[in-house]
Amino acid sequence: MGNPGARSRKKTRKWVLIADKIADKAITIGGVLVIAAVMTMTVYLIYVVVPLFKGGEVLSVKQYNEPIDPSDIVNLTLDEHGALAVAVSKTGKVDIWHAGTGTPLKSLYFDFGAKHLTSVGKTIDNNSIAFGFSDGTLRLAEIVFRNDIISEDSAPQGLSGLDDQDKTDGDTIFSKIPGKGLRKVDVELNLQPEIRVSESGRPIVALGYRLVEFGDRPKSYLAVADSSGETHFISTETKSNMLTGAKTTEVNKSALPLPGKKVEFKFAVINDMGDQIMLADKQGRVFRYDVRNESEPKLAEVLDLLPADRELTVFDTLLGGRSIVVGDSLGGLSIYFLIRRDDAQSTDGLTMVRTREFAPLDSSVTGFSASQNGKSFATLDSNGSIWLIHGISQKILLKLGGTTIFARKIALSPRLESLVAIGNDGHVGFWKLSVPHPEISWRTLFGKVWYEGYPSPSFTWQSTGATDAFEPKLSLVPLIFGTLKATFYSLLFAAPLALLAAIYTSEFVPKNVHGKIKPIMEIMASLPSVVLGFVAALVLAPIVESWIGAVILAFVVAPMSLVASAYLWQLIPVRVTLRLEGLPKLILMGLAVCLGLSAAYFLGPEFEKLFFNGDLKTWLNTNQGSSQPLLFLLALPVAGVGLTYAISRTIGTRLNIWLRSFRDPYGPLLDMLRWLAVVLATIVISYLSSFLLSWLGLDPRGSIFGTYIQRNTLVVGFAMGFAVIPIIYTLAEDALAAVPDQLRSASLGCGATNWQTAMWVVLPTAISGVFSAIMIGMGRAVGETMIVVMATGNTPVLDLNIFSGLRALSANIAVELPEAPKDGTLYRTLFMTGLVLFAMTFFINTLAEIVRQRFRKKALKL
Amino acid sequence: MNKDNNRPNENRKRSTDFKARGEPALWLLGGTLTIGLLMIFGFLTLIIYNGLSTFYPRPIEVLRLADGSKIAGEFIRSEKFKPEPDKIASLPEAAKKELADNKGYLKRLLFKTGNFDLYHEDYKWAPDFEIVERSRPEDMIYVKRIEWGPFIGKIVSLDMDGTTVGVSNLSLAELKEAHREAEKRRRRIQEIERGQLAAVNYYMDRNRLALRKVELKQGKESQAYVNASENFKTEQEKLEKRYNELSNEAASLRQVDSKYTITLVDVAGKEKTNKISDIVEFYPTNQLSLGQKIKIYLAGWSEFLTEEPREANTEGGVLPAIFGTFCMTVLMSIFVAPFGVVAALYLREYAKQGQLVSVIRICVNNLAGVPSIVYGVFGLGFFAYVFGVSIDELFFPERFPNPTFGTGGILWASLTLALLTVPVVIVATEESLAAVPQSMREGSLACGASKWQTIKRIVLPRAMPGVMTGLILAMARGAGEVAPLMLVGVVKMAPELPIDSFYPYVHLERSFMHLGFHIFDLAFQSRNSEAAIPMVFVTTLLLITLVFVMNIVSIIVRNRLKRKFFAGHF
Repeated sequence: MGNPGARSRKKTRKWVLIADKIADKAITIGGVLVIAAVMTMTVYLIYVVVPLFKGGEVLSVKQYNEPIDPSDIVNLTLDEHGALAVAVSKTGKVDIWHAGTGTPLKSLYFDFGAKHLTSVGKTIDNNSIAFGFSDGTLRLAEIVFRNDIISEDSAPQGLSGLDDQDKTDGDTIFSKIPGKGLRKVDVELNLQPEIRVSESGRPIVALGYRLVEFGDRPKSYLAVADSSGETHFISTETKSNMLTGAKTTEVNKSALPLPGKKVEFKFAVINDMGDQIMLADKQGRVFRYDVRNESEPKLAEVLDLLPADRELTVFDTLLGGRSIVVGDSLGGLSIYFLIRRDDAQSTDGLTMVRTREFAPLDSSVTGFSASQNGKSFATLDSNGSIWLIHGISQKILLKLGGTTIFARKIALSPRLESLVAIGNDGHVGFWKLSVPHPEISWRTLFGKVWYEGYPSPSFTWQSTGATDAFEPKLSLVPLIFGTLKATFYSLLFAAPLALLAAIYTSEFVPKNVHGKIKPIMEIMASLPSVVLGFVAALVLAPIVESWIGAVILAFVVAPMSLVASAYLWQLIPVRVTLRLEGLPKLILMGLAVCLGLSAAYFLGPEFEKLFFNGDLKTWLNTNQGSSQPLLFLLALPVAGVGLTYAISRTIGTRLNIWLRSFRDPYGPLLDMLRWLAVVLATIVISYLSSFLLSWLGLDPRGSIFGTYIQRNTLVVGFAMGFAVIPIIYTLAEDALAAVPDQLRSASLGCGATNWQTAMWVVLPTAISGVFSAIMIGMGRAVGETMIVVMATGNTPVLDLNIFSGLRALSANIAVELPEAPKDGTLYRTLFMTGLVLFAMTFFINTLAEIVRQRFRKKALKL
Repeated sequence: MNKDNNRPNENRKRSTDFKARGEPALWLLGGTLTIGLLMIFGFLTLIIYNGLSTFYPRPIEVLRLADGSKIAGEFIRSEKFKPEPDKIASLPEAAKKELADNKGYLKRLLFKTGNFDLYHEDYKWAPDFEIVERSRPEDMIYVKRIEWGPFIGKIVSLDMDGTTVGVSNLSLAELKEAHREAEKRRRRIQEIERGQLAAVNYYMDRNRLALRKVELKQGKESQAYVNASENFKTEQEKLEKRYNELSNEAASLRQVDSKYTITLVDVAGKEKTNKISDIVEFYPTNQLSLGQKIKIYLAGWSEFLTEEPREANTEGGVLPAIFGTFCMTVLMSIFVAPFGVVAALYLREYAKQGQLVSVIRICVNNLAGVPSIVYGVFGLGFFAYVFGVSIDELFFPERFPNPTFGTGGILWASLTLALLTVPVVIVATEESLAAVPQSMREGSLACGASKWQTIKRIVLPRAMPGVMTGLILAMARGAGEVAPLMLVGVVKMAPELPIDSFYPYVHLERSFMHLGFHIFDLAFQSRNSEAAIPMVFVTTLLLITLVFVMNIVSIIVRNRLKRKFFAGHF
């Protein structure tokens, strides 16, 4: 190869090589990293969402023995932090032990005297108890957990360690807490004096107990049944004297009416307000008493909950007291609500309705413990297995098994963090649980759920409520519906407008005008959406509200005035019109539009008077008056299009040829007359059909039209349409412009008019590009946030009404995410909505992109 | 247009194929285009007119109503409205007649009456039929105040440290002089309280945090901690002394200031005494000449652009929002420019073109269409809660439990927007890289240049205008975007700017104000949206001017690029 010596002198300088290497590596690594970072987003969203769908998890299980017999135990409870377990026996003995290790702590007693315990009623936290005795008396009692935070220095000496967190001095527990301190957990008992219920001294067999807070004064409600079937309703209220501080307890007792024959009651439940009592016997027959008027209780309803082959084994309430849990001897488990029904067989119109039915347990339901954190609960079956279930999502969170414990009694800790179970022979199990998102399942996110206080199952979004007992309603359906509704109405407005404008710009506007219009539209695409939202909400919405008649009329009048102008234009000799092509014609068209709009403005009030008794809003809101006017308006476009199509398919060509046979001023005139005849016919047909339809009872109010709200979908449609028009317009125009000129020339050369060329040659060629433009516009509308936040009322409703508000997925995130606690259920659910939004737009955009690339390939081949 | 008329011939029978001509359809097409253009022009006119006219002093009108009461205010607009159907019966005869004449509509006029502290409303609708007389008295004065919005009325007297001067003995020059003095006092108090006292507070807080850091690192028993706490004590004493001095000075100034008051009276005769220093500006609108009005108008703009907001953002300026928007956009560009270009270079110049790269390309294209709020969700969850919390744990344990980077802030906001706009830059850069003719690369390589040299010297300079276009478009998008910012650090009122005179000068963890969010907040969170609307329009005008200017620049750059290409093609 020539002279090797000379070549070797031409060595590349070292730093060039090094720089090249560095650049090579840096750009490759950097590029891959950036792309990876952008892709990370999807992965991270999924990573946050996935824990929603995990059930529960057992963190640890401890087993030990306690010297107690489960059949003796009448009440089992855990303290707030799951440190202490307390079991009350029939005799009044109270066993207390460290839940984590089983180390026994101090022993206490409820002093029942010589009385024999026959029945127990307790509140949801298992800490307030009502004891019923064989002599017809009852006593209220309380287990009080006392939590004191003390500093490490002031802890007593000589504590013995229990586990890595807790220490004891033999009586109480000292738990380490984050920061520097200890929590001292102690138990105290409190037994109140006896209340005589049964005058005849018959034993009490069923007790229902509920504490209801009225302001800061708790009121105790008791439902008591004795062995003869006599039942009483007792309310006690403790008042403290403002001056002396002395407390007095007031006891009101009223006898409930007898159900007719003797019933042996086994269960008693009181609802959340303390105004409904449900007593049940073994066969599942429920007697509901209405005690809204305490002095005059009424038997409101008698109901059989179970078929004959089943026995009632669990009859209790979930947190809040509005969901009644019914468990039976064959493992069936369901929830009942008290709901107002027209066909209720009761005196007060309410009735118990089975609203949720759970997958049956393996065998008889024998135990129940409700969580105080949401609507979860634990049940026990007769095989000794423990099931942790959520009341709304109906998800089986956990089935605790795999231990040697044959559980007989269970208790959940208040925060749903742990569970204690006592089995045969004093085997005790203590589970630490993690159940972060029990209320979420595919069913609650996307299905109909029957919530407390609702007359039927529904798709509802309501993430926060006032009380602990609130059921979070996290259905994504109304949000997805809201997004689609806003998108649909805005595209209904924007797509035709943008496409027609794009066709006109690309095919009929002279080049010099074209060069000015396009950049204007492009700049509009970058208009901040917050501006559009503000104008829509504060300027447009009030105008549309007060001029709604004119706005509706404009949709009819503006196109009519354009078409009418076109027929007038045809009257002008062609010599003149040819000279006016281009900008002057466009200006004339603008004038025609303005004419139409101002006609709508002036005729609006008249129109409203004529059609809607003078006020459209009242007409919509009150459902008064005939539905015919609106049906007539709806029928107009249908009839118009139908008629035109029918004519063009039948006598259209012949009519056209006939029209051509006339000399110039007469042809256009006749053409105009033809059009007027069609318009007249359209009106007549619309009138007749609307008359017929309204006679048949069809009323569009209540479906796509209905109650008028100022910030409504129509306004959103306008504003979002405004945001989307420039995008669709620009992309569609690009697609049309990409059709090669030789096609146009060929078409024109064959004698086609511009109109025919545009309609039958250019548009079909570019149709896939135009379609992709609409899809991309749709993608933008789906994700648009500020406009929907500002111009809708953000009410998550599920109706098609164009005059009502909506809540879109994106708006929902913007409104709720700043308030959602990190890693909570709402937080993750909002990430889920983000993911849904992401998936929707990704799907739409990918489709658009694929279509567009196909179009490009096709266009290149032409 | 019409093929039949190519050769005009009077004798030929002239007829038209109307169907082929398609005139009605054409008019519909053209009509939609004009509707689109009308919408745009209407929209822009609305914004520009309202935005530009806000600061122009309008004449103050005094109205005498049918019931004898008087209101005074600036006329804002009139509108036709429909009275509630159940109230029509109780209207007076004149109104009923008007109603009948106007197809069920009545006219009403909106006046900005000010005096919010007296009546708890500052805008009033006056039905046209109730107005007996409209006049423009010369002596009505418009008083802009720091608090309570404007006062519209007359001056009664001036109380200067005990001596009361009635309005009859008062010249405008004296008033102006008193006001200038009061303004000086106000600025001095403001300087002490907002500047010097704030600085002392800042240092005290910093010392406390520094001590806490030593405690966390070395433990409470360590020598270092003992030393540090000694130091802290002496420092703190010094600072406290300084603090007391300053607050005493401020208090005494305030006391002096409170002795200079002005008593105003509104048109209904209600009096109101204000500190003179609470007055921003005052003028007898109806006496002003055009020149004076223009001066006030320009002063309004300069206040708007250079001052901080007052009165829950409905008055004053938007300087912090402008500054916040600017900082965020700049930060975002710092992130987005290199990363976007590098990614595009990789995709176009380095990656092996194949199935994978085209899939990536579709994905990147798609990401440009992902809703901005989704990026906001990601920014909050990933940047603030994952990244930020880790940074806090590592570097700012002394501030626990207060988050530093573990919450929204300008850094996370600009990173989120960078992520949002990086696909835009990648796509634009890639397109401009693709537009550089392959022959140029080959020529460079054939001359012996390395690949990097080719890219640096030949490809990138040619692609630069395209890159700039993409970048400017990204900036415009970033400046106008609000939804993701609501999640990652924008606030309605930021007490501190992200850049100030305290070390380390740039505080990336701080939350900030933003023009777009300012619009949202003003329009939807203020007590009276009517009172906020003028400010919203002005802010909107500012924002869209900013965005449009960026867009126009990018279009100009793009056109230049095209020209250069056609000229330089070989």
